[in-house]
Amino acid sequence: MYKYSEKDKKILKNRTSEFKYQVERRLNGELTEDEFKPLRLMNGLYLQLHAYMLRVAIPYGELSYIQLKKLGEISKKFDKGYGHFTTRQNIQFNWPKLTDVPEILKELASVEMHAIQTSGNCIRNISCDHLGGINNEEIEDPRPWCEIIRQWSTFHPEFSFLPRKFKIAVTASKKDRAAIEVHDIGLRLIKKNSKVGFEVYVGGGQGRSPFIAKKIKDFLYKKDLLNYLEAILSVYNELGRRDNIYKARIKILVNELGKEKIKCMIEDKYKNFANRKLELNDAQIKKIYNFFKLPIKKSKNSIIPKIDNIEFKQWVRQNVIKHKVKGYSVVMVSLKPPGKPPGDMNAKQMNELSQLSYDYSFGELRVTHEQNMLLPHVENKKIYDLWLKLKKIGLSTPNIGLISDIICCPGMDYCALATARSIPISQKISNSFNNYKQQKKIGDLKIKISGCINACGHHHVGNIGILGLDRNGEESYQITLGGSATENAKIGEIVGPSFPEKELMKALETILKTYKKNKVSEDEDFLKVFNRIGISEFKKDLYDNS
Amino acid sequence: MVKKLKGEQFYLSANDLTSGDVIYLSKDKWSTDFNKAIKIRKDDIEKYEKIAIQDENKCLIIGPFFVELTEEGQIRKLRDKIRKNGLTFKIT
Repeated sequence: MYKYSEKDKKILKNRTSEFKYQVERRLNGELTEDEFKPLRLMNGLYLQLHAYMLRVAIPYGELSYIQLKKLGEISKKFDKGYGHFTTRQNIQFNWPKLTDVPEILKELASVEMHAIQTSGNCIRNISCDHLGGINNEEIEDPRPWCEIIRQWSTFHPEFSFLPRKFKIAVTASKKDRAAIEVHDIGLRLIKKNSKVGFEVYVGGGQGRSPFIAKKIKDFLYKKDLLNYLEAILSVYNELGRRDNIYKARIKILVNELGKEKIKCMIEDKYKNFANRKLELNDAQIKKIYNFFKLPIKKSKNSIIPKIDNIEFKQWVRQNVIKHKVKGYSVVMVSLKPPGKPPGDMNAKQMNELSQLSYDYSFGELRVTHEQNMLLPHVENKKIYDLWLKLKKIGLSTPNIGLISDIICCPGMDYCALATARSIPISQKISNSFNNYKQQKKIGDLKIKISGCINACGHHHVGNIGILGLDRNGEESYQITLGGSATENAKIGEIVGPSFPEKELMKALETILKTYKKNKVSEDEDFLKVFNRIGISEFKKDLYDNS
Repeated sequence: MVKKLKGEQFYLSANDLTSGDVIYLSKDKWSTDFNKAIKIRKDDIEKYEKIAIQDENKCLIIGPFFVELTEEGQIRKLRDKIRKNGLTFKIT
């Protein structure tokens, strides 16, 4: 993984001291809240319902065991003993005191972490395929490109005050695990005529106006990536609306201008204003690539032990993925045990998982945008031992990709913007479907829950999306069906009027019944059935008898 | 702060600037103890708004607002109930 240079360390040290001074000035009245707010937000510090919330960046979801250990220590020392992993592959602490934040940032800096650009109208954490560099399908490892973009976008003077926040995702596979088509910019590494470059997508996003991104470039040479990104951002910075927060994202601009017009404007900017300094040469690219070499020296004839234990077999089937190096596997660590808030991990688990990553996975870990974690390089013969240890700390739930593997925003329990709770809904669902066989029978199914229209829980692209609303003071939940964040990205269709909280589980059961009765083969999952039969059957079963 | 308020009585709430804790205006100071919160009548809103602004300026509080109450004196909105009672689930 990327290691900070001396310059990086110095920048971070200065930034930490600067924020400490800003907090002091706020507390002694030299800064008003209006003056301080943009400064704290630039350092990832929000004010939520009950307390401050600090969002810490995990660049493209990659963590070392030292960093996870530190996050556990911070959660114990300065918070309530847990952290929440987000859909941007970041972590949030929900209860820090303002006076402790400078110390937290100092602790983070000691392990090459920070909270910069995790808030505000700037380029946010670059997200990435969580299997980048370790799967067989990809063109090449996308992570070095995330790092190149991170370095370009961090403290970029021109793009620190964009019309609105800006999110970029990178993948290198046909199979999209990074949801690139619902990002402001989505990049896919592809091969064309034996050259590797990027497909560029622009204008995807969720929130109150969801859009699937449009492909504006079929092939971009690697060396030109930063110039092209600079061109996109410049057009957006110039023309994106600043008069209406709801219309400020690039998706609105792309949609208003149309794909061809925005493409022409970006191409024009790119051709006429390309900055030679931004052109990447092979040496620069190689330098970054060197940080991402696989720690595995050579393949092994190592196999997963055949243990006569049903729980272990289920977990291997659901949570263990083939690594690109023979003899190794990727172990998915579900952060969705039944009845627990999705994405949460307590300090003890962080500490123990850190040690397990050191013992079993070369000290590396990753966070997925679906709010799970993974150990990227586990030798097959050690997988049973690892499972026993994960089981001891409650991290062996075999549900990756199943109905209880729910993406869920913090909702009204934490968030000042939310209109309804989302975590209790996810808890109800995961408690109802906590049996592996029952879940497996339902098959692959992505439920995504947001507590408001801002869609932090990605409900628009859930196979079943649930949006919490406030209907005359009562929580009510609107259901969308057929959404997907994969290579066939699609915004879900609203099935009909929303359901009061008490009726939501019944509605979900009805949807599953409709799916089951229309399923024609074992491998036809929910999305396939939905795409074949459409929404009307579901609508009829949900509303016609009421 | 007082735009579009519903009802005749309110609590004045905020977050403590230093700790971020949820606090309510009690008789003589801000308190984390909801039971000490004073009920404010609509006619007195302006007076208490001034207190909130003063205390913001003194760097004691952040984000003050009036919590709407029903005719029975109960908190009207779910968000404010959650702020008062805490999370509606057990943490990990």
